[in-house]
Parts: sequence; structure tokens; C-alpha cells
Amino acid sequence: MQLKITKGMFVIPAVIVLGVFFIYPIGLTFYYSFTDFTGVGEAEFNGLRNYDRFLARPRYIEALKTTFLFTLIVVTVQTSAGLFFAAMLHRLPEIRNFARAALFTPAMMSFVIVGYVWQFIYSPFNGGLNAILEAVGMGGLARGWLGDPDTALMAIAIAHVWMFTGYTTAIFLAGFANIPADIDEAGRLDGASSWQRFRHLELPLLAPSFTINIVLSTIGTLKTFELPFIMTRGGPDGATRTLSLEIIDQLFGNYRFGFASALSIVMLVVVILVAFVQNKYLRSREDAAS
Amino acid sequence: MKRLMKKLGRYTLIAAVLAFVVGMLMPVFYMVMMSFRTGDEIAQDPLGLPSGLFLGNYANALATMDYTRSVINSVGITFSVTVLVALIGSMAAYPLARNTSRFGRAMVMLVALGLATPAFVTITPIYIIFRDLGLLDTYPGIILAFTALNLPLAIFFYVGFIGSIPKDLEEAARLDNCRDWQVFWYVIRPLLGPATATLSLFVMLAVWNDFTYPLLLLSDPDKFTVMIAVYRFVGNHNIEPDLLFPAAVLGSLPLLVIFIFFQRRIVAGVTAGAVK
Repeated sequence: MQLKITKGMFVIPAVIVLGVFFIYPIGLTFYYSFTDFTGVGEAEFNGLRNYDRFLARPRYIEALKTTFLFTLIVVTVQTSAGLFFAAMLHRLPEIRNFARAALFTPAMMSFVIVGYVWQFIYSPFNGGLNAILEAVGMGGLARGWLGDPDTALMAIAIAHVWMFTGYTTAIFLAGFANIPADIDEAGRLDGASSWQRFRHLELPLLAPSFTINIVLSTIGTLKTFELPFIMTRGGPDGATRTLSLEIIDQLFGNYRFGFASALSIVMLVVVILVAFVQNKYLRSREDAAS
Repeated sequence: MKRLMKKLGRYTLIAAVLAFVVGMLMPVFYMVMMSFRTGDEIAQDPLGLPSGLFLGNYANALATMDYTRSVINSVGITFSVTVLVALIGSMAAYPLARNTSRFGRAMVMLVALGLATPAFVTITPIYIIFRDLGLLDTYPGIILAFTALNLPLAIFFYVGFIGSIPKDLEEAARLDNCRDWQVFWYVIRPLLGPATATLSLFVMLAVWNDFTYPLLLLSDPDKFTVMIAVYRFVGNHNIEPDLLFPAAVLGSLPLLVIFIFFQRRIVAGVTAGAVK
């Protein structure tokens, strides 16, 4: 008898790959999080000790706070900048395509390269930012931007925003394109100024784009570790030590796999929870607007 | 007169917005300019333009960081992952798209989980699994890990696309006694071109630029991807501009060139991926 290949069997390769290298690892991380696993030998079950440790040490709560602060800065600045560019480019079709591509260019680059280039821009030794400040007579502000606990987190956030503003702009522009032309036209006929049309017609209708942009950038920023890893390694004085960086250090600095797994699970729960709440709130806002 | 003023105002606005856009491009411009300057030049004038087409930095970078080798590795890994993701993803999506009731929702959940999962939730167990299976530091290992990472999005993407293909085509093929796999291979697959193109650009971007997986799963310099080669070459302390900038340019160049040619498609594709 010939084996009949049915449609249902087409999912088998995907099930195997996802099962072995995605679902099973998540389950394993969950399991390790209740053990003292160090990567070698047997994993000894130690109950909730890892989670206790996370809650008991201010260091880790601080890392979580830094993560939230970083995300708040990035999401706010990036959404505002993206909205600004999209609103302008929506009104200026002459330069729309060029500007959209130009703004998108940094997103083509790797975190490694963005991290290094901005690290040098912020450098106290011949860095670009200090040189610009000197040139415009504001040399007094010059400093090692990543070496100063007051500015380091903000500096990394700016690099992150720089990288992804084009993304946000493109999504907002797609939102603008979805606004029926007659709505803007009606506003124009009623004598509404450009600003009034933006504020009262376009902004409410962009609610779905806000949802996508805010949820995507929040998820991406909460879990990111690359830029802090490359630019500061969590310094100075832990000012940029995000939870994700803490996990990497526990994993490959200390080989505390069990504890790092618990931190990863905390992170996963935080990301899902925040994304869920945001999604719910922003969607209810969409319904209110329509 | 009034019309003239209005026109003037519009040009002023265009100039202002363009200034902002060009400002956003300055770090890229800065990176390229600096890559042609010697360390001494930069120390004397941190913002100056290159005095000539000085290629010494590039010669040094090319010789030391084994760029060619790493590009070959990255191209090979990226290409394999893209093919595997497109093939396995579209295969799995076909029955799922035709049977949305149960699996559809599960798939959406899986994609959401995939997007929300930080790399280190899966990376530790993958490291251990790889170590036990002897996949650490091998091409098949890193390719499989990347494939799994990008598969949920691919399936999600194809399910949406296949769902919009009319069923009549398949039914006609079935009347001609085609088997399921023949229907898929000869009827469905040829129609997936646009979806595959968009997805491939997306996956290519993600894999080429990824830093975490190859950093942790590869240790043999002969197998390093471009990003790891750049990372190792520049190092982490006291970064030297004459090392950093040529390496940064070389690392970004392939994708920037592709972007120049496919920018419309890439921007549209990435946006469509997000909006769905």
C-alpha cells in the first residue's frame, strides 16, 4: 500500500522545529527557574527560592525599574517623533517617499553597529556630540555621555529611538493613507486649518496606528539588551542595568542558569502582561474614537 | 501675492522637514566619513571631512577581521534560514489556512508568544540542547535555531495570504485527480511569490543583523557571522575610531545596498507585517 500524504501532514516539519527549538526550550526555562541549575550536572529542585531572591534583593527590582524607565522614554519619544514625521510627510507628497526611506535606513543596521557608532558619538575622546557642542559654543555641556549616570540611560534611549523612528513613521503613514480622502476634504471645506484637521479629524482616526506602534515598540524595548550590552554593559553605577542585561550577566558571567531562568520568566510575564493591558486599553480607545 | 506667500510657506516647510530628515541621516553620513580618516586626523578635528580617499582603515579591517569569510558565513546562514522558513512556513500554513477554526487561534497565540519572548528565554535551553546534541558551533545548529525563531511569524504571514487565495483553483486541480501535495506544490506554491518576497526580506534583515544567537551558539572564528566579526574586531573597551568605522561600514554595506534597490518593498513589507 502506498503511503498517502495528506494535507494535515504538511504541518509536521513546523511542529518538529517549533517543538524542539521553541516550545520545549520555553518549558525547560520554566522548569530550570525552580532549580539551582548551573549548566552542568544535575539540576536540584529548590522551589521558589529563585523568585524569592528576585523579590528580596533591591538590585533586581532596580533593574526592573530601569527597564520600565528606558521603555517609557523610548516609546514616548519614538511615537512622538514618528507621528510628527508622518503628519508632515502626509502633507508633503513631494518628499514623502524619499523621507520615508531615509528615516527607515537606520533600521537596516544591526544593534552592534548602531551601538558602536553611537558609543563613539557620545565618547568624551573626540566624540561627535561633544565636538558639535564645542562648535556651537556650548562646550560647557560636553561630557562623557555614557559615563555619566545622569545621562547614560537617556543617551542609549536616543540611539534606540534613532534606529526605529522610521518604522514608527512608516506605520503612521500607512494609517494616514487609510483615512478616507473625503473626511480631510470636508474639513478643508469647513475652513479647518491644517492643525485643526490633524487634531480633530486625523488624530482620532489614527487610533489603530497608535495601538500597533505603542504595543510593538513597548514589546521590543522591554526585552532589548543589545544597545546597553554594547554601549555601557549596565554602567555607570548600574544606571543602565536593565533586567535583560542582568539575565545575560547571570547566564554567561555567573553561570547561574536556574536564577537567570527565573528572571527570564519574570521578564516574559512582564512583557506579556504589559502588552496585554496596553492592547486592551488602546483598543477600547479605538472603539471610542470610531 | 497671497498665492506666492502660500507657495513660499510650503517650500519653507519642505525645507524644514528635509532638514530634520537629513539630520536623522547624519550618524550614517558620519560613520562613512569617519571610516576614511586616520586616528590622528580625528583627534585633531573630530568633525572634519576626510582629507582624501584614505583606504588604510579598510585594508586593516579587511585583513584583520576576516570579513570575506564572515560574509560568506552570513550569506550562507541567512539564505538557508530564509529558504527553510519559507518552505516549512508555507507548508504548515496551507492546512491551517483551510482549517481556521481550531488552529487559527492557536497560531495567533503562538506568534504573539514568539514576538513577546525575549531571546534569553529560549537561548539557555537551546544552548544546553545544542551542547547535548553536538550542534553547538555548527552551521546546521545556528540555522535551525534561527528557523525556529522566525517560523511563527512566517506561518502567521502565509496563513493570511493563503486564506485570500480562492478555493476554486484547488478544487479544479482535485477534479483532475491531483494529490494534496501536488495541489500545494503546483497550484498554491507558485501563487505565494509576493508573500515569500516580503517575508524573505524580513527574515533576511532579522538574521543578518542578529547578534544574540551567533554570539552564544558559535565560538569558532571560522564560522562567525558578520556581526560577530565586527563585534570581536572592535572590542569593548576604548573603542578606536579607525577600527570601528570601517568595520561598521563593511558590516552594514550589504543590507544598505539591498535597501537602496528594494526600499519600497522593504518598507511596505515590514509595515504590512506589523499592521497585520
